[in-house]
Amino acid sequence: MELELGLALPGSDRTPELGVHGEKRASLCRKRGVDEMLGKATLPLFIRKDNDEDGDDDSRQSKHLQELNFSGSRVLVGWPPVKMWRRKSDDCGRRRANCVKVNMEGVAIGRKVDLCLHDSYQALFLTLGQMFPKKQHDGEESDAAYYKVTYEDEDGDWMLVGDVPWELSVLKHKHKKAK
Amino acid sequence: MTYFPEEVVEHIVDFLGSHGDRNAVSTVCKAWYQVDRLSRRSVFVGNCYAIRPERVVTRFPEMKSLTVKGKPHFADFNLVPYDWGGFAQPWIEAVARGCPGLEELRLKRMVVTDDDLELLARSFPNFKSLVLVSCEGFSSDGLAAIATYCRGLRELDLQENEVEDHGRQWLSCFPDSCTSLVSLNFACLKGEVNASALERLVARCPNLRSLKLNHSISVESLNKILARAPHLVDLGTGSFTIDNRSETYRRLINSFFKCKSLRSLSGFWDASPFCLQAVYPVCTNLTVLNLSYAPAIQSADLTKLIGLCFKLQKLWVLDCIGDKGLAVVASTCKELQELRVFPSDIYGAGITAVTEEGLVAISSGCPKLNSLLYFCYQMTNSALTTVAKNCPHFTRFRLCILEPEKPDPVTNQPLDEGFGAIVRSCKNLRRLSVSGLLTDQVFLYIGMYAERLEMLSIAFAGDSDKGMVYVLNGCKNLRKLEIRDCPFGDAALLKDVAKYETMRSLWMSSCDVTLGGCKALAAKMPRLNVEIINENDGTCESKENLSDLHKVEKMYFYRTVAGPRNDAPDFVWTL
Repeated sequence: MELELGLALPGSDRTPELGVHGEKRASLCRKRGVDEMLGKATLPLFIRKDNDEDGDDDSRQSKHLQELNFSGSRVLVGWPPVKMWRRKSDDCGRRRANCVKVNMEGVAIGRKVDLCLHDSYQALFLTLGQMFPKKQHDGEESDAAYYKVTYEDEDGDWMLVGDVPWELSVLKHKHKKAK
Repeated sequence: MTYFPEEVVEHIVDFLGSHGDRNAVSTVCKAWYQVDRLSRRSVFVGNCYAIRPERVVTRFPEMKSLTVKGKPHFADFNLVPYDWGGFAQPWIEAVARGCPGLEELRLKRMVVTDDDLELLARSFPNFKSLVLVSCEGFSSDGLAAIATYCRGLRELDLQENEVEDHGRQWLSCFPDSCTSLVSLNFACLKGEVNASALERLVARCPNLRSLKLNHSISVESLNKILARAPHLVDLGTGSFTIDNRSETYRRLINSFFKCKSLRSLSGFWDASPFCLQAVYPVCTNLTVLNLSYAPAIQSADLTKLIGLCFKLQKLWVLDCIGDKGLAVVASTCKELQELRVFPSDIYGAGITAVTEEGLVAISSGCPKLNSLLYFCYQMTNSALTTVAKNCPHFTRFRLCILEPEKPDPVTNQPLDEGFGAIVRSCKNLRRLSVSGLLTDQVFLYIGMYAERLEMLSIAFAGDSDKGMVYVLNGCKNLRKLEIRDCPFGDAALLKDVAKYETMRSLWMSSCDVTLGGCKALAAKMPRLNVEIINENDGTCESKENLSDLHKVEKMYFYRTVAGPRNDAPDFVWTL
């Protein structure tokens, strides 16, 4: 069974137009205009291959290693030509990136958030609200206040985010879920 | 030819510094080959798969210094899969067997394991210098082995490697008897380093001239180190977050006052804006300054600092310096030879802070400029023409306009004429990277004028096969060509295959080359390894099912006398 995959934030109604490898290749081969390159509706599903905590970086699975910036627009692989080592240094100041995976219930594709770039829960919720689609309640969009963000603590329990002061929580969180 | 005794030939040949000259000497006749062979001390292998390690070791038994390079250059930008190859192991094993007198090893873009480092540490009693650049595969355990077993080590230089931190206190493994260090660079390490062990090590190494710290070393520790080693010539600071009202800060300025020999500064991890004043005492003597890891420093503070550095020859900065900041560089740094301006905002859509204006200012203020790496938002033909006129001495010119295929914003034209002016004017140009909107015309110019060009990088450029053919026909000294996302196909690839034996390697990704074309190339040129890198199709389709019309995502070929390699992973097919 062949799976047709597309990368777009779920909830948008772009339909995946790519099929198997051959088709996708053909469309890439002629010289592309930049608009076409940067505005493609769908992309192959990818696995981000950096500091993955669960280490499932089977190189066979990762198609084009593409990175998303916070606004979700696509960035070309290996462009601009800056050494990977320098990118990693730049990403989160010289501190180690405190990246946390966030999955939303009902959404297949997760996101990663760097807690270093946030200084409060409010800032974090704002980012999460921008990353994930808004919920629909009776045809109206509701805001991020309706989200419950939970995290998995060291005992494996799911706890509500927000009880512990921000500074303390930054040290401990590894995995979050939004509902 | 007049007969010279071997000793005389050897004496003459000893004066030849470059590898190229030595290689030429060895091809004159058998006698000269032998003289070179037995007297060659320094060996350079530009591609680890071009020759078998055993053969190098057999030919040069008196080798003291070996340099080996592995992965292709585009591996730096994540275009080469992690386990493609470039293993140091066979090299270290072969040299351990055949040249136990080895003193120096330099590896670039290779996979080096902890076992390799341990073997290295134990096999060479006279080992003095290890330089690893952009390597991966080892951890602090490997470093511990080097520290423990390399008696008389003079240099340990780790540049931009991916090193795993196993928490091992590797620095503490340098024995008390180790007093020979001249150069120590561990700036790329992510883990903690034992600061007091470092301070003691510095105290007992009176010849230490170059020290580059990682972010885990605090300013307090830096103070102690500088107190012990005021004769440092080259310093990479550790963490540079300082409160400029603190005692630590006052002590730091005092320390820098005493560093009369300091000529080169880098590091500045986490540098906050005010702390740069601490280094003012050494500015007037600086020849090298690298501030490219300090994004928090604003342009104003940068320019105040640089405004004092009138002896500067090499400057690496982030583009937040801005065009105005570059104007300050231009008016201050008359001795400037190398400039690198890196992008500070890689992912965002924000406006980057340098344009063609900054570059033009630099070119008119710094006539000695010969090496440039410039990431910018836009460029014009007019600016490039001016730069070409002002700076005819470029040997390395790499321009990266961040948006692919961006034309001249003033005229909306491609940048063919601008780059044409560069290659016409800079007769000694050896390395060139082009960007922006470019047609086949720019490659016609490059082929016509860039006679000394050795390395060319092309991305998102050209209209047709003609572009690539112009380059291959024209550039007589071309050694490395790397191309991505260009409409060059089989016709260009196969036009003049004999050319490829004069080159080290060629990389083409996301172009129009087909599997059939690559097969034809491999068939015509048995002394090339033509590799197809197919990360995606390994599991789903067998190689036989792919038609010759299938476009190849990544192709890398290189000349070799070693035949196809035996360590290629599944997703690399050697045709």
